[in-house]
Amino acid sequence: MLRVNQVWVKRGAAVALQDISLSLEPGRTLAVVGESGAGKSTLIAAILGLLRPSHGEITWAGAPVRACRPALVMQEPRSAFNPVLSLRRSVMEPIVASGGTIPADRLCHLCDGLELPPDILDRRPTEVSIGQAQRVGILRALVASAPLVLFDEPLSALDAVTQKHTARLISDLQCEEGFAALIVTHDLGYAAAHGDEIAVLKSGRIEEIATPEQFVLTPKPGYCEQLRDAALALGALEAAA
Amino acid sequence: MIMGLLGFVLRAAVVLSGTAALTFALLWNAPGDPAQAIAMARFDALLTEDVIDQVRAEAGLDISFWPAFTSWLVPLLSLDFGNSAVTGRPVWPDLVTAMSYTFPLALASLAVGLAVSLPLAVLAAKRPGSLVDRCAVAVASLGVAIPAYWLGLLLILLFAVKLAWLPAMGARTAAHAILPALTLGLGVTASFTRIIRSGILEARGQPFLPAIRRRGVSDRAIGRDHVAPHAAIPVVTVFGLELAFLLEGLVLVEVIFGRPGLGTFLVQAILARDFPHVQAVVVLTALIFVTVNLLIDGIYRVIEPRIGERDA
Amino acid sequence: MRSVATLVGVILFLIVFGPLLAPHDPTAIDIPHRLSPPGEEFLLGTDALGRDILSRLLHGARWSLGLAFFISLIGLAIGTALGLAAALGGKVVDWAIMRTTDTFLAFPELVAAVVIAGLMGAGTWSLIFALSVTGWMRYTRVARGVGLSLRTRGYVVQAQLAGLSPLAIARWHYLPSLLPSLTVVWTGMFARAILGISALGFLGFGVQPPLPEWGSMLLDARVHMRSTPLQMIWPGLVVVTCVLAINLAGDALRDALAGDDTRT
Repeated sequence: MLRVNQVWVKRGAAVALQDISLSLEPGRTLAVVGESGAGKSTLIAAILGLLRPSHGEITWAGAPVRACRPALVMQEPRSAFNPVLSLRRSVMEPIVASGGTIPADRLCHLCDGLELPPDILDRRPTEVSIGQAQRVGILRALVASAPLVLFDEPLSALDAVTQKHTARLISDLQCEEGFAALIVTHDLGYAAAHGDEIAVLKSGRIEEIATPEQFVLTPKPGYCEQLRDAALALGALEAAA
Repeated sequence: MIMGLLGFVLRAAVVLSGTAALTFALLWNAPGDPAQAIAMARFDALLTEDVIDQVRAEAGLDISFWPAFTSWLVPLLSLDFGNSAVTGRPVWPDLVTAMSYTFPLALASLAVGLAVSLPLAVLAAKRPGSLVDRCAVAVASLGVAIPAYWLGLLLILLFAVKLAWLPAMGARTAAHAILPALTLGLGVTASFTRIIRSGILEARGQPFLPAIRRRGVSDRAIGRDHVAPHAAIPVVTVFGLELAFLLEGLVLVEVIFGRPGLGTFLVQAILARDFPHVQAVVVLTALIFVTVNLLIDGIYRVIEPRIGERDA
Repeated sequence: MRSVATLVGVILFLIVFGPLLAPHDPTAIDIPHRLSPPGEEFLLGTDALGRDILSRLLHGARWSLGLAFFISLIGLAIGTALGLAAALGGKVVDWAIMRTTDTFLAFPELVAAVVIAGLMGAGTWSLIFALSVTGWMRYTRVARGVGLSLRTRGYVVQAQLAGLSPLAIARWHYLPSLLPSLTVVWTGMFARAILGISALGFLGFGVQPPLPEWGSMLLDARVHMRSTPLQMIWPGLVVVTCVLAINLAGDALRDALAGDDTRT
């Protein structure tokens, strides 16, 4: 399981994350919400080991996170794939890099689950729709059975209909595969509907970690309450409430 | 600003010492017996082993690398370039004489280049795609592709041999400098025309200019306040690159026209294996290069304040 | 990209088949016919030793163009490797490589080549060494610049997470994106190599006679400028044509790439 313990991250002179502590069990989903600049992307980079915390430690099952081969689904599906390689090559990269193999039908099975046509993997990233590209991104994250998958704004490049659909596919696959999901989003409705817990991040600090029910009914006074009210006013929390 | 300057000076120091060390290592490891070449240049005759050994000792070639390097570098720090291995005379006065031929020629070719390219580029940029513009572009492309030594020979052929208007070889009078300056000047013209022309075109495409024009500001004022300063930036940049072109061209042009400048000095020193002379020219060239780039960086910061923020 | 590909095709054709088209032996001395004007037997005339100038020019393609091609590829290999190492290898490696690059750039390339080739002793290998050693820095700068901009690109991060080795990442994710800009630099460096080879040949530091190299042909012709000026025109004309064609192809490619950037 993921343990983030009193982590501080500095970027130049500025402090990007202060004293972050959170944990996540396999099969569970943690949604991290916050406005732009709150430190969401820094948190992901720190968990993936792309940034070194100046203080504190981040582990998966007691070992550095990178040892468990975590996977990442990016916000911009187009730039997440090398434009000159076929999607199949990009998807198989985690398998090829570790020198392993996968059961022959796993790719087909996952494609089915993600409602991707079987021939799509032989195309280039520019030859598929954004929604399809994002689902191929999810496919790449899952293909090597990563125990921890991080989602960085997985829906924000998609249109409204595709967003709902993709969100449902992610939770269905999570039930089936049992990975731990950390979803970073600014969409409170999505966080409340799909997260087992919600962590509210503001200016590099965690304001509150709560279940969706707690968050909607009794948010911590101050920023979290404002956030909840704003989301209610927009009608974003109807599904959760 | 001060920190930036300090950093640049520090970098220049690293670069200069690197050049000095590389040159020395190259000279020291060059194949062939330098003592023999020096002796040949000195006495111009076939020689016995004794004479060559004596030359070797005199030129300081009989010691190992590091002592030789320090005995060259330490005086160099106080700008003492030592004595010529061939003539035995101090290097510095001969170097100054050579420079007195090279610098006026370099300045003259820059003047020729600017005098032709500036009006040409402004005329060309006035109406892109017009006949003048296409001619300017053609001149620019051709000028970059013509090697200086060939152009020099063509000019000699036309003006000195066929028409007999101008002297070709030597450097006795000012008239002797006309053909070399034209040769180098055309190369300078080519790249300046290119850069100034595209600089003006780009400056005229700045998105806020139509709004200013609608406010009633005259074309002349727009040109002076918004187009010219913007177009000046790439010109200053290219000046640094142009210096390399000039120095390369100078070597060839001086050899072609038989001018006793730095280039001829260098080529003769290489042929005679006169190490102190070669080292002096190399260090001097690097010094000029680094200094000019330092100046350009300074000018750059004045006309383009954004640069200082971008890289320190 | 197509203009550059065509150009490379034509140049390779000249290098391979140029000598086969030559009507005479380029080194056969024929004193009775020395310095003959262009005519039926010698289309472009003969030089001071009675050698056919056209044949020498055609054979010269192998030296002037072939060597330049070779040298520009050596520079491409060295420069790209160093540039990528600087972009990917961390701060210390980057600092060391870029200061070395600055040092090499702090000197006019051709002057450095003259010094190196001159001191190593005239000859083809000195020429190759001198022009390669002074011809990699531009590639390094471009490769490092593009490399740095790619480092945070999504697919590069994904490849790192997947655990791909740095070499594999460089091969599959950096090189393809570098190729267009490196090709532009390459055209410029190819043209410079042609000019450099003929300049060194002209100074007597390059390919040695009797090999038919264009710059050294010019050096020979210079002596007889008064009697047979045409002999001096041909080699220069060939150099200018080649350099001009390469530069124009490079410009076209650069413009095409700039167009791509504005579209996406």
